Amino acid sequence: MLEKLLPAASTYAKDIDGLFDLITYLVGFWFILAMGVFFYLVFRYRRKPSEKAQYITGETHKQKLAIEVPHYLILLCDIAILVLTFIVWHHVKIEKPPAEDEVRIVGQQWAWTFYHSGADGLLGTDDDIAKVNELHVKKDTVYHYKLESRDVMHSFSVPVFRLKQDTIPGRIIEGWFEPNKTGEWDIQCAEMCGVAHGIMAARIFIETEEEHAAWIAANSPNSADTSMIAKNETVLETQAQEDRSNG
Amino acid sequence: MKVVKSVRSLVSQMRSSLIVGTLLTVGAATGFSQADSRGKQLYVNCTICHQADGGGSALLEAPAINNLSEKYIVEQLKKFKAGIRGGHPDDITGLRMLPMAQTMVTEEDMQAVAAYVASLPSSSKEPTIEGGDATKGQAAYAVCIACHQPNGIGNDLLNSPSLIHQYDWYQLAQLKKFKSGIRGADPRDITGAQMRPMTMTLVDEQAMKDVVAYIQTLSQ
Repeated sequence: MLEKLLPAASTYAKDIDGLFDLITYLVGFWFILAMGVFFYLVFRYRRKPSEKAQYITGETHKQKLAIEVPHYLILLCDIAILVLTFIVWHHVKIEKPPAEDEVRIVGQQWAWTFYHSGADGLLGTDDDIAKVNELHVKKDTVYHYKLESRDVMHSFSVPVFRLKQDTIPGRIIEGWFEPNKTGEWDIQCAEMCGVAHGIMAARIFIETEEEHAAWIAANSPNSADTSMIAKNETVLETQAQEDRSNG
Repeated sequence: MKVVKSVRSLVSQMRSSLIVGTLLTVGAATGFSQADSRGKQLYVNCTICHQADGGGSALLEAPAINNLSEKYIVEQLKKFKAGIRGGHPDDITGLRMLPMAQTMVTEEDMQAVAAYVASLPSSSKEPTIEGGDATKGQAAYAVCIACHQPNGIGNDLLNSPSLIHQYDWYQLAQLKKFKSGIRGADPRDITGAQMRPMTMTLVDEQAMKDVVAYIQTLSQ
């Protein structure tokens, strides 16, 4: 039901959507039934001049059944929702499949910085690619993310993944996702973080293996564009050192 | 009957005075919004950090902007909006300007807000950085004169901003950013690229503090 409104692009999105549908159908069923019975009774037993109203205390077993039966049936529905919620929670938040790639996500007022692991697939190495408000991931790859905040609380929210995770300053929060649909989608902040919280938006690009390899090749620190900047910096430093030594 | 009549007339009087009052209020409000400039309205978004007088806030690491020229403010807003300035992953304060500049939808918006900010009066700031030697800084400032002028008021023709009436902590932070490439390293940032080699002439933090101490004397 939810997928018709918002595409799903992660492996666990269908589990969360299933849970959403289940809760909507169960709650919807009981709501419509309760309203139906309520309005039927209001109409059926409306005031009539020929009949005198009765005062029912609801103390007899038969009268109590009208409450008890739906009560226990709703409790059964609650238990079904709880069990399935624990299963989905365990799958999404607790049980992490082995990582095939990793990404470091840093939130700040009011931007997201994504540190991609680069060609070697490892974070913290020289070929990491840092991008502001742009997350590039490869389809059908399990990513482990490390989520940080530089200032206040934020919440990393990717609606197409059905993923929402708070960031807390001073903590590194770990999690995972596996994109399964290519495309360009929204990333947003889902925790009030200041005046520009509402426009703290970024984009996620889910690419095929070839597209992702091409993006890494074009953006890694050793590529032509970025090495030109590094070269310029070295030239500037050398010139400045020469100027200082000359006088 | 007399009582009913007098009550009716009182209600009718009250109703007409209410209508007249409402019309007057609406008229006054409309007149106010017309007189109020678009730049002033747009600037409301900026006041949270830069304050209503454009004097900035040390607590929020927001610089004074009321000392800047209209042209320079427009150029910086364009740069922030495109990520040319403040787009570096390590530019924590610069990144805050990215979404704020995006609230200026058109160039006319930027012009309007810049004109308003430039119209605000500026004033000198209390020094906050200790250990700077203004005499040594004066010698280091020699290379800055070409663009920022001997009196530090900047030059719109060369796209250089005014340095006077600005916080010393902000100027020190910007010198460090230029030197480390956090600011001015974007290939599209032409004026930023002009500042980078200039900051290379400042050997260490002490040299930066010295030149900032000298710049502060220009505001006196």
